[in-house]
Amino acid sequence: MNGLIPRRKFIRSAALAGGSLMMLPYLKGNTMILSSPVNGYFLNEFGIDETLCRKLLSKALSRGGDFADLYFEHTLSNFIGLEDGKVNRLYGDITLGVGIRTIKGDQVGYGFTQELTEESMLSVAATAASLCDASATAFTGKFNRPVLADYYPVDPMLIDIPAKSKLPVVQRINERCFALSPLVVKVNAGFSQDVKRIMVVTSDGVMAEDTQPSGYVYASVVAEKNGRRETAGWNLGGKRDFSFYTDEVVEKVSAVAVKNAVKLLDAIQPPAGEIPVVLGPGITGILLHEAIGHGMEADFNRKKTSTYSTMLNKKVAEPFVTIVDDATNPNLSGSINIDDEGVPGKRTVLVENGILTGYLHDKISAKYYGVEPTGNGRRQSFEHYPVPRMRNTYMLGGDATPDDVVKAAGNGIYVEDVSNGQVKIGEGDFAFYVSQGRLIENGKLTAPIKDINIMGNGPKMLANIVMAANDLEMFQGGGGMCGKSGQGVRVSFGLPTCLVKSMTVGGTQQKGGAS
Amino acid sequence: MNTAMQELINWVTDQVKKAGADSKVILSKQRFVEIRYRERKPDAIKEATTQNLNLEVFLNGKYASQSTPDLRKPALEAFIKEVVENASILDQDPFRSLPDPKYYAGATGIDLELNDKDYAACTPQDRHAIASAIEEESLKRAGEKVISVEATSYDSTYEEYVKTSNGFTGSEKTTYFQKGASVTIQDEGDRKPNGGYYVGSHIKADLPDSKEVGTLAAYRTLILMGSKKIPTEVLPVIIENRGTGRVLNGFLSALTGQNLQQKRSFLAGMKGQQVGSKVFTLVDDPHIIRGMGSKHYDDDCFAPVRRDIVKEGQLLEYFINWYYSRKLECEPTTSWPSNLILPPGTRSVEEIMKDLGRGILITDFIGGNSNSTTGDFSVGIIGQLFDKGQIIHPVSEMNIADNHLKFWNKLAEAANDPWLYSSYRMPSLVFKDVVVAGI
Repeated sequence: MNGLIPRRKFIRSAALAGGSLMMLPYLKGNTMILSSPVNGYFLNEFGIDETLCRKLLSKALSRGGDFADLYFEHTLSNFIGLEDGKVNRLYGDITLGVGIRTIKGDQVGYGFTQELTEESMLSVAATAASLCDASATAFTGKFNRPVLADYYPVDPMLIDIPAKSKLPVVQRINERCFALSPLVVKVNAGFSQDVKRIMVVTSDGVMAEDTQPSGYVYASVVAEKNGRRETAGWNLGGKRDFSFYTDEVVEKVSAVAVKNAVKLLDAIQPPAGEIPVVLGPGITGILLHEAIGHGMEADFNRKKTSTYSTMLNKKVAEPFVTIVDDATNPNLSGSINIDDEGVPGKRTVLVENGILTGYLHDKISAKYYGVEPTGNGRRQSFEHYPVPRMRNTYMLGGDATPDDVVKAAGNGIYVEDVSNGQVKIGEGDFAFYVSQGRLIENGKLTAPIKDINIMGNGPKMLANIVMAANDLEMFQGGGGMCGKSGQGVRVSFGLPTCLVKSMTVGGTQQKGGAS
Repeated sequence: MNTAMQELINWVTDQVKKAGADSKVILSKQRFVEIRYRERKPDAIKEATTQNLNLEVFLNGKYASQSTPDLRKPALEAFIKEVVENASILDQDPFRSLPDPKYYAGATGIDLELNDKDYAACTPQDRHAIASAIEEESLKRAGEKVISVEATSYDSTYEEYVKTSNGFTGSEKTTYFQKGASVTIQDEGDRKPNGGYYVGSHIKADLPDSKEVGTLAAYRTLILMGSKKIPTEVLPVIIENRGTGRVLNGFLSALTGQNLQQKRSFLAGMKGQQVGSKVFTLVDDPHIIRGMGSKHYDDDCFAPVRRDIVKEGQLLEYFINWYYSRKLECEPTTSWPSNLILPPGTRSVEEIMKDLGRGILITDFIGGNSNSTTGDFSVGIIGQLFDKGQIIHPVSEMNIADNHLKFWNKLAEAANDPWLYSSYRMPSLVFKDVVVAGI
């Protein structure tokens, strides 16, 4: 099989323009691309068969590697955007290629190519193998296809809906935002979607395929009053199909964005320093993502560079605290049927009743610790090798009511929306940026606040969660991305309303009002 | 220009023309090698070559931009057809067009030395030797406290060709070399400070010796031991040269044509006004030899021009690309700065610290963000508390916050140490009276 694999088609792009059938003339007579079964996509479209996979694995293991895997990917993504009342831009991208990894002990050799030709792929396999300097016999093993659950059944794929059908959704968001408040002066809206088709083939006998759709709509609004302007936005989406993007979703995205932008027109800066912090439900789960999630990724612990590397099976939080990283939540952004090493998606408990119970593993760390992989081996694309990554990370609800939690804080701040966060793994220090919140004064929510960074230390913060309400909410947005080692993967978060006894709030006013 | 790539880019442009549209095509190829050492052996070796074609289509004010790695002509025919069809369904935008070709003229023809002629001579053995030497030195310098050292050697070569259907053709060939290490050490209890040192340049010989890199990676980690936070107070702070971009970006984002036109800029209407202290001067210079931001053409294919952006605190220029210049009805400048220079001062950071009394030298940031609409920003800091030039102890879990319009007026002095391994060629900067949040 030299040169181009005969059945390989052109690399199909996305968001085909119009019409009811998303098929360009050059595709006619081949509807397989539009309705490929989960298993067989790379065989049908690119001629990647078991014989070829064995040959590639043999080459990757030819210098004595312990393990090798192949990661085939074909991703189509696009975005349509509205500005100044016009849907006037469309961006699209195609990702196609294979990444080949050889592992020896905990060492990794990795190469990738965009050309799915046998010659090119064998060359990349040789690059991956170059990590080792011994010899080996050819790989002749059989492949098993794991039976996978489907946590995001969508049909048809969002990206296969003609772009023309999506334009009205974006236009309606624009119309609703302006209609909801006379203070709105600018609206940006957009519809983003992609579909990632992957096939993972491993030398321990797994051949698994998955189709991972993603998408979201968003509104970003500028409101103005008395010469003061503020910006806020909101998005909804996930691994869903077009039927999700109803008028209700349009209304919710628009209403939240407008309400938040208008509210910020009266927002103030809270006092700086250590004060009690109440985290509202939902997106504030980014706190867990930064404060504990990254530190529980087992590569850091295997290398002993995480502050949590000596805390396994120890008490880290109050008994009511249980924290989970979960691939199985229906339609959420971080859900995966399989990870990028071919391990089925699972629910992994990180903290159970206050005790640190386990790490998030890829195959390398699982072997190191002598445990089963947890399905957290993830990567941005075939251009990267997998490392342990989170999926949907959340804390289970407690017994209190949200009002009780706010009341218990006394004086502090209430966090409603956050935009980003970061963590220092070894120190456990983390930060997250509050774009929306309120002051808490005498146990009651008062003035809106904005634009503050909150600092903390993961283990200290965990120990300082003193109360949780019964209102666990998962973030239903589609735009949540997590970055690590130069790779971005989609994630989500969740949190019930909870009270952290004390964190450092970065503001411009010292306590007592001096600035 | 490589003949085959030239032929292909001409062919794509012709195909789009036949479909009735104008176009801008960028054809690029990249190759890179990355080697990481840990525990005195290769931890990861990564190598690949990639290619990409990005096509922007302008169809009577309708616009689409898509990219593909598949450069075979049959595939590209279908791709072009699709991009044109996608553009055709969008709303017509009277401001969307290729730039006026007059802005293409006048590009420098000089060799900016962005491409290391000796790149091809780099061997796998060289790369291993670099990573290994850095790791060895970091291990030696960090001593018994060390938990982990990850030392990296990375290099790449990138080549691109650009053509617009209204007359611009250009190409750029660059190389990039980076080396450095991330070091983790054991502190009290479960605390494991992580620090490091990385440098990058277009020309391999411009990088410091690997032993020096390993030494600095270890040193910059060891100084983080014993960190704590202090009570919230108003202090002078020095932002170390390589970190200044983190705060400066919040200011720069408000200078873009998009944010200005979309009412998301706190600097709208402030051209000619004072936005900072007399020390605050920013120059955008695209023609610095071997500069990390140097270029022969910008994102709109404009001939890059040296510009004073801020001079002694007075705002003189915005970053306005072709599209937003039409919406704003003004002359375009450029979409984003190339090499950004704040003129260095005459004193070292150490000398300045002696005169400042009690303050914080900020060596790293964590989290944080900046609001381009209002100018408010808030960011976590990591650094060293000092008093009269003496380091007292490292600080962490702390934060600075301000509004850019106030903050840059607090800029009191620039040190004499511009950081040349970045397109932000900034010296360390001294700001007075900053609220530093802690306990």
